[in-house]
Amino acid sequence: MSRLWWLWLPALVAGFVLGRSSAWMLSSIRHVDAAPNALRADFKDQFRAALASSYSATHNLDRARARLVLLGDPDPVAALSAQAQRMLAAGRSFQLARDLAVLAADLHQAGPGLPLVAAAATSSGAGSAAAQLPSATPAISSTPSVAAAPLLESPTAQVASTQLDLNTPTARPTRTPIETPRAPFQLVGQDNECSTSLTEGLLQIVVFDNHRQQMPGVDITIAWDGGEQHFFTGLKPEIGNGYADYIMERGVTYSLRVAQTGTPISGLTRPSCPDSTAQAYTGGLKLTFQQP
Amino acid sequence: MLRGLPLLLLFIIGIALGLIYSWAVNPVNLVDAAPASLRADYRADYVLMIAESFHANHDAGLARQELAIFGVQAPATICASALETAIQVGYSQADRSLIQELARAMQADSPIATPAGARP
Repeated sequence: MSRLWWLWLPALVAGFVLGRSSAWMLSSIRHVDAAPNALRADFKDQFRAALASSYSATHNLDRARARLVLLGDPDPVAALSAQAQRMLAAGRSFQLARDLAVLAADLHQAGPGLPLVAAAATSSGAGSAAAQLPSATPAISSTPSVAAAPLLESPTAQVASTQLDLNTPTARPTRTPIETPRAPFQLVGQDNECSTSLTEGLLQIVVFDNHRQQMPGVDITIAWDGGEQHFFTGLKPEIGNGYADYIMERGVTYSLRVAQTGTPISGLTRPSCPDSTAQAYTGGLKLTFQQP
Repeated sequence: MLRGLPLLLLFIIGIALGLIYSWAVNPVNLVDAAPASLRADYRADYVLMIAESFHANHDAGLARQELAIFGVQAPATICASALETAIQVGYSQADRSLIQELARAMQADSPIATPAGARP
């Protein structure tokens, strides 16, 4: 036996490799029943987009939050804001970007206090948390209806198997949307930023909520004679979650509105700043908004 | 024969260590999954999200586009599968109604094959 001692380590290593490979293969098999957090990045984007559209229709924040948990983003609010920005930059639907931004803002405003219905959903084997999602957060009240929409001919056997149910008169939901109360943002600061290190004509916007926390995903509209552009706060989280900026052109006067309900701030132009030799140079502007 | 027993034991211990390492210490994380590989209840919830939007905007084209995430399956079939899952896992009646509404719209929106030579 002692003559075989040198084989002990190879046997252990071979066993370890075999065990690791077996685990990998078993995981591959389980991958068929994947959770949303395993989705490819672009599919996760589609999941978030569908989620935001759904939230826009139902205003069910608990359910939206529970669904977001399934994606496993470390910071769901930042992920939503970043996606809104990416979609705007790619010229995608503004409505969709807005849905994402609104969801981000509402989640931010609601804070972490909401129950995470699907907190266990990412761990497999603990039952179907995702399945509990729709029934766990009833935001839609139902009233019975006698009208049953007729079905067309079922194209496949699978559809035919549920046709009976589809034809059965069902209670139709009556929506009771819960509007998120949103007071308009107020301009609490407008300062000329005079610094030669600053980009000329830089318009900086910082948006705070009523708890003095910076708010990401807030829709900002800047308009000028013959044009308009939308952007959102939170694009530069390294500066601040509620920060956004824009470069103003020379000789153009802008008006700016924060969120859809905000009062437009008009007459915004590049400020002129005097330097130490009485020469003028172009500075920037800083606007600060807060929810009352 | 007993001389090989320690080796066999070490080999088995190695397998056990490999499994423990892969499942507990450093789990194998397979990512980049396609939506078609989602578990049935997650798929049903995704369809419900689309159904909730559809109930508000009645945009069948958009719903069809969103359902295309699942690949080549017909949208009506995807909705029917989702509805079956919703019934199995106990979705509320209101949620099932939303999926049914979407399923009906997807079926109504499906091109119906006309036999060759048949008059429309």
